[in-house]
Amino acid sequence: MSGTSRAQLCFLLLSVTALRGHARFLDIQDNEISPEGLLSLLSSELKRELPEEFVYRRALRCLDMVAIEGQFTFTAERPQLNCAVFFIGEPSDIISIEYDSVNIDCRGGDFIKVFDGWVMKGEKFPSTQDHLLPLYERYSDYCETGVSRPITRSSQNVAMLFFRLHQSGSSFTVTFRKLINPFPCNVVSQTPEGSFTMVIPQQHRNCSFSIIYPVEIQIGELSLGQHNDLKRSILGCAGSGDFVELLGGNGMDTSKMFPMADLCYSFNGPAQMKVGCDNTVVRMVSSGKFVNRVSFRYRLLGHQELQQMKGNSVEDVCLRA
Amino acid sequence: MKPVPLVLLITSVLLTTHIPLSTCRPRDLSLMSNQLDDALLTRAGDDAMSYLVGEKLLQYLQRNVGAQKAGGVLHLQHFPTARLRSPHEDNSLEELTEFSKRNDDPPISIDLTFHLLRNMIEMARNENQREQAELNRKYLDEVGK
Repeated sequence: MSGTSRAQLCFLLLSVTALRGHARFLDIQDNEISPEGLLSLLSSELKRELPEEFVYRRALRCLDMVAIEGQFTFTAERPQLNCAVFFIGEPSDIISIEYDSVNIDCRGGDFIKVFDGWVMKGEKFPSTQDHLLPLYERYSDYCETGVSRPITRSSQNVAMLFFRLHQSGSSFTVTFRKLINPFPCNVVSQTPEGSFTMVIPQQHRNCSFSIIYPVEIQIGELSLGQHNDLKRSILGCAGSGDFVELLGGNGMDTSKMFPMADLCYSFNGPAQMKVGCDNTVVRMVSSGKFVNRVSFRYRLLGHQELQQMKGNSVEDVCLRA
Repeated sequence: MKPVPLVLLITSVLLTTHIPLSTCRPRDLSLMSNQLDDALLTRAGDDAMSYLVGEKLLQYLQRNVGAQKAGGVLHLQHFPTARLRSPHEDNSLEELTEFSKRNDDPPISIDLTFHLLRNMIEMARNENQREQAELNRKYLDEVGK
């Protein structure tokens, strides 16, 4: 080998060793690579990065609600023992929370926990039946895993931060981003009026769309399984693995809510229902054999309409609670 | 020194200073959590049943059910980590006491009415729309230049 070619080979060898690889951990559940797992890996590359001067920044309050992307800092002026920050995005968003800088005393009892969902009065959204992860995996504690895994991603458009800081002067900064979710399942609506189409593409899961207002729901189109499935129409909702139910209640947990209506057959053409509860949920149960789709609109029930409903019904389940 | 042995030396130094892939995997907390759960089960009788203790119990029960369902496969996966963690018992005991200290505190949930939640969402939406308008204005100013 001539001197120059050897030198070139050596140079090539040097530059190859200087390259650094990035190892990623892909969360594989049940020993299969799910499309969600691959998609989340891809979406992290496609995250749009705003230039520095356009990043929204503000201070965080002990009780706060955040619907805007940006960087949020909490500084404890006095000991704050029970703080919670709610994050909410559009229905087709998922939330990414990244710890930028944290100055807390983990050993002194301080903590920052991210919860995948919302918890209110002990009730969780999405319920344990509707969420893919077991409950303990939905809490991620900064003091345990935050340093090694600074980015937490939610599975739906809502997430929460719980924190406790004992010493004044402790602080932390988080960056909140919204990422696109092509098949939203489990949504909390930001508004009392709107429309949505929920699609479950051949997945065995249950999805809930929660509207925390008393609303009238108008279902425009429901497509469950195949269109001309005569055998299924005989079974009814109880035997069917694919159906849509309308729930009403006064808490966040969909498993503790009262069923207002069950829809087991595909149909076209509006069907409406008024639900006078604090929380109205459209829930789709899917067996995984078919692509199921439901389109609906909702509008806020006025005060007069609510009064009329109270007058008409002998026993209103929502008023009872 | 000849160039080739020098290159080989540099190569070996660079390769050995690479971060090994194993550190990119998340820390396996399963064994530590098992010890914590044992401690919590014995302590649960002493203290008032806090929400967090309840959650940890639920976690313990769920994992036990999960382990039974998975059968022998799950056990095989846990055995190697059990052997790895035994030298670090002191560390985990420390973490255990910290965790039980946190456990004495009030539960992790928040008592909010829907009315308050709705108002908070509306305020957050207003903030979002205001800032989005501001951002749009900035973008247009940039484009206009």
